[in-house]
Amino acid sequence: MEHANWFALLLVVGCSATIVTTILRARSGKELFIRRIPGLSAMDEAVGRATEMGRPMLFVTGLGGVDVISLQALAVAQYVGRMAAKYGSRLIVPVVDPMVMTIAREVTRDAWRAEGREDAYRPDDVRFLSGEQFPYAAGVIGLMNREKVASTFFFGYFYGEALLLSESGFEVGAVQVAATPATTQIPFFLMSCDYTVIGDEYYAATAYLTREPNLLGSLVGQDLAKAAIVGLIVLGTVLAMIQGKEHLLMKWLGG
Amino acid sequence: METRRALFAYLAYLLIGIVTSALLVALSQPIQRLFAPISGGVHSPRFWLAIAISVIAWGALFGLLHRLPSRAKKRLIVIVTFVSGLFWVLEFFLPAHSAVLFFWRPAHGNPFTPLKQPVGYALQVIAGFTFFLASLNLMRLHAGHLARLRAGWYNSLAFFVAFFAMAAFGLWAYYDGKNPVAIRWNTWLFTDMYVPLTGTMFSVTAFYMATAAFRAFRIRTAEAGVMMLAAVVVMVGQVPLGMWFTSSLPLQGPASNLRIEVIANWLLGVVNSAALRGVLFGLLVGGLAMSLRMWLNLERGAFFDQET
Repeated sequence: MEHANWFALLLVVGCSATIVTTILRARSGKELFIRRIPGLSAMDEAVGRATEMGRPMLFVTGLGGVDVISLQALAVAQYVGRMAAKYGSRLIVPVVDPMVMTIAREVTRDAWRAEGREDAYRPDDVRFLSGEQFPYAAGVIGLMNREKVASTFFFGYFYGEALLLSESGFEVGAVQVAATPATTQIPFFLMSCDYTVIGDEYYAATAYLTREPNLLGSLVGQDLAKAAIVGLIVLGTVLAMIQGKEHLLMKWLGG
Repeated sequence: METRRALFAYLAYLLIGIVTSALLVALSQPIQRLFAPISGGVHSPRFWLAIAISVIAWGALFGLLHRLPSRAKKRLIVIVTFVSGLFWVLEFFLPAHSAVLFFWRPAHGNPFTPLKQPVGYALQVIAGFTFFLASLNLMRLHAGHLARLRAGWYNSLAFFVAFFAMAAFGLWAYYDGKNPVAIRWNTWLFTDMYVPLTGTMFSVTAFYMATAAFRAFRIRTAEAGVMMLAAVVVMVGQVPLGMWFTSSLPLQGPASNLRIEVIANWLLGVVNSAALRGVLFGLLVGGLAMSLRMWLNLERGAFFDQET
């Protein structure tokens, strides 16, 4: 689709308005419930383990460039960075994309600064390894083995290297938390990691970890938007059964 | 009070966005000319002059940005993010052609669409700078290892040798494509060394798949049992030997549904697809919410002066 049709415009504006409204409601002090997500709850445990063992943590941001997936991963990296700074642990962030590297460095520096530990910040722990998939994977595996990492976090978009990385993490005995929107890689993470965050839980991570009203409101808003989309699917199914393939909703959608 | 302040901030940014968009449209032709490739390439003096001017201009800009106080820098990032987002929103949501909205345009076309290419070029320029920074980061790290002769220093030496050899022969072969020495060395380094090494890394996946599957398929819970059963049916249903087990069943009629390949395809095409599409819907809406938070800078709460 080169340009949006009116239905796409309506859908995006509707979803966006719902999300902004719930954010404003959350900001007004309304209590919002968020269910427990074991994978995200385990992050504190993973940081604690690394601190107790005196070994570093590894945060892998996947193969994505500067996009919404990598930015979400970096938001989580900032949370882990703050925890690491607070408890005096080390966080290594190997990256594949040079643009992501510059943002990752700012984000982690902010984390150490926010905890008042900027002096302990090690800029070289945010490392550009390679711009290519398998050389990058080889570099990350090497880091895992040399640094004997205690915990690994895989947040971002992964491809064929997902299993290589997570199995290598398993071999060094790290507690592993993985989260990816790449549906083809979720089974590999489920097999090799201790905790896997799947589907839209990936985008719930920052809200869940920080409990910040803006983010919680956004989470509730996206659930409402999803409910509306489910309603549209049900409506489309019913209309297709009654009117056939060329039903009313399909015409509106421009199909 | 806070919400009102935020709304005023959004209105101000919207105004800046509209003014910037109007400027972009008005300066559409010069912008397109500015980012157009220079004819003659490396053999043209204009090419080298353009590079020199760009480096000086960008250097001055970066120097200026570096001197800005932290708060002003953050505010600038917010404005640039909002204006950039607004450009893509307007480009996508405004129609491709409209005699009413774009009455002044020659073919009533969307004025933002021709700017997509120059914006793409601008992104490539920024990416080029960051690639330089990334290479510098890598070199500094390995130079430190070498200078202190840390454990595994020879790996850092290998990095420098590989980096400069690949860059030198790659550039030589690119700019002097008929030189047999350049071609031979470039082929030897890239096709004969780099490609097989990459393939070797990928092939390791097969072994890891076996070890991971061994752990995953241990039946410890009812869910693991169901997963194991589904996996066995799908795997057996994909191979000729597996299909042979139920080959005595008819190809048509209700009994054909009991053939192993039919059950495997049903598991893959119906159960698996339904679950994956459900996950995808959630991901897309989550992505939209995340993009919105980024665009409106709600992720870090800067409009409300709260850092997460």
